[in-house]
Amino acid sequence: MATLSAAKPFRAMGGFFAMSLDTFIVMGKPPFAWKEYVLQTWFVARVSVLPALLLTMPYSILLVFTFNILLTEFGASDLAGTGAAIGTVNQIGPIVTVLVVSGAGATAMCADLGARTIRDEIDALRVMGINPIQTLVVPRVLAAATVSIALSSTVILVGLGGAFLFAVNVQHIAAGAFAAGLTTLTGMADVLVSVVKAALFGTAAGLIACYKGISVGGGPAGVGNAVNETVVFTFMVLFAINVLVTAVGIQFTVQ
Amino acid sequence: MTEAVPSRLHPRLMRVRKSVVGEWLRIGNQTQFYTRTLGLIPDALIHYRTEVYRLIAAMGLGTGALAIVGGTVAIVGFLTMTTGALVAVQGYNQLASLGAEALTGFASAFFNVRLIVPGTTSVALSATIGAGATAQLGAMRINEEIDALEVIGIRSITYLASTRVIAGVVVVIPLYCIAVMMAFLAARIGTTAIYGQGSGVYDHYFNTFLNPTDLIWSFFQSVAMTLVIMLVHTFYGFTASGGPAGVGEAVGRAVRTSMVIAAVEIAMISLAIYGQSGHFNLAG
Repeated sequence: MATLSAAKPFRAMGGFFAMSLDTFIVMGKPPFAWKEYVLQTWFVARVSVLPALLLTMPYSILLVFTFNILLTEFGASDLAGTGAAIGTVNQIGPIVTVLVVSGAGATAMCADLGARTIRDEIDALRVMGINPIQTLVVPRVLAAATVSIALSSTVILVGLGGAFLFAVNVQHIAAGAFAAGLTTLTGMADVLVSVVKAALFGTAAGLIACYKGISVGGGPAGVGNAVNETVVFTFMVLFAINVLVTAVGIQFTVQ
Repeated sequence: MTEAVPSRLHPRLMRVRKSVVGEWLRIGNQTQFYTRTLGLIPDALIHYRTEVYRLIAAMGLGTGALAIVGGTVAIVGFLTMTTGALVAVQGYNQLASLGAEALTGFASAFFNVRLIVPGTTSVALSATIGAGATAQLGAMRINEEIDALEVIGIRSITYLASTRVIAGVVVVIPLYCIAVMMAFLAARIGTTAIYGQGSGVYDHYFNTFLNPTDLIWSFFQSVAMTLVIMLVHTFYGFTASGGPAGVGEAVGRAVRTSMVIAAVEIAMISLAIYGQSGHFNLAG
């Protein structure tokens, strides 16, 4: 029994990588589940957009507020836009996107797949000769990635808009100086890195949600636990990916 | 479903009215639940003390598969460690592009305390102890265990919700300390060991600009945030419906609601604490 519980995390890890590999292999094979992909994309987008916008506003306002305390002290409040751009494009945009896609989209995916698993619907698909990875997992993973990419740009735009309104109306920083400062340190490369981050985050969140959903055990209570684990594991993986991609990407973006 | 029912008067208008009324009632229900949960906290402390102790232990160590990866403590520590490392990565390189990389220690002392640690802790708490509470309570609700508690004369809100709120607030105290330590440590190791800045330079700017008052405020921010997160999560768990899939959806809804509310709360408390002057003095 002791060896069994010690081997469990490794078994889960192995199972996860096996499923991810299957997903990437099957992704290129012909019958692509277009309908499921479109439906899932629409679903994830619908549950994510509003929370994403609600979450990005307070964070970007907090960022601008904290940053401007510093800049005002230096007497360099003209640079407010520069700070807002660095923070929003590089960090807040991708992170907020991912928090919402995994908190809103991935949890629902995991709950849905988990409920199907405990009712043996996934096994029924296999019996009928339908590959659940191809019909259920691939469209979901791609849907999460698509929505992440689309959402991250929206989040960045709204974040910068909120930061602009807050800085100009509340902290009385010149609007022109703010707008001119946006591109001082942040350029095309930063935006590209941010999009790459969002795509990686979305894929990882989709894969974890699908793996947790398909491997649910222990009846109805298991689904709730699986969703809880999905949230925890996606957040951990995403924060780890974020540090790595930032460290690699910064070599290309900062001169 | 397709029975021949005569259509009612103004169906569209009625639908709009129904959704508006429904929304209004939902807000009322939530407010009522939150006030009752908070009001019953003394009751929980007097009558269900054992349950509170049990929950504190369970939340600190995590339950189920989360216990294998080290429980809530390890997860919160890991998340704040990565965001602390972010200060080193982004801060050092961005400051180096201006020729001011010596100030990375300052960036760690300033941004970690005011912005990064409260934000990360809120996300981590909502994912771990928050989502865990929703999943537990939701499973109890759909198995009709909560009704069973009521039947045998146990006050379910006190026993399940108030105790969890107390436990969450107690657990966040050591968790916050770990979070801050990990963030500082990761930023320092990243800057000195990986990017090769002299540790004396880093420590000098870090110690000069680390403001203990900020730390205390940041701590209170985290406690206030936990209170709200636990309230939201227990509510969604308590009112879960729709079978196993319903519990999963309740967890998702609770996570996104509590993240948004915690973010707004952090921003509001920060604006209130630091105000126009910012409580920050570069000249010392």
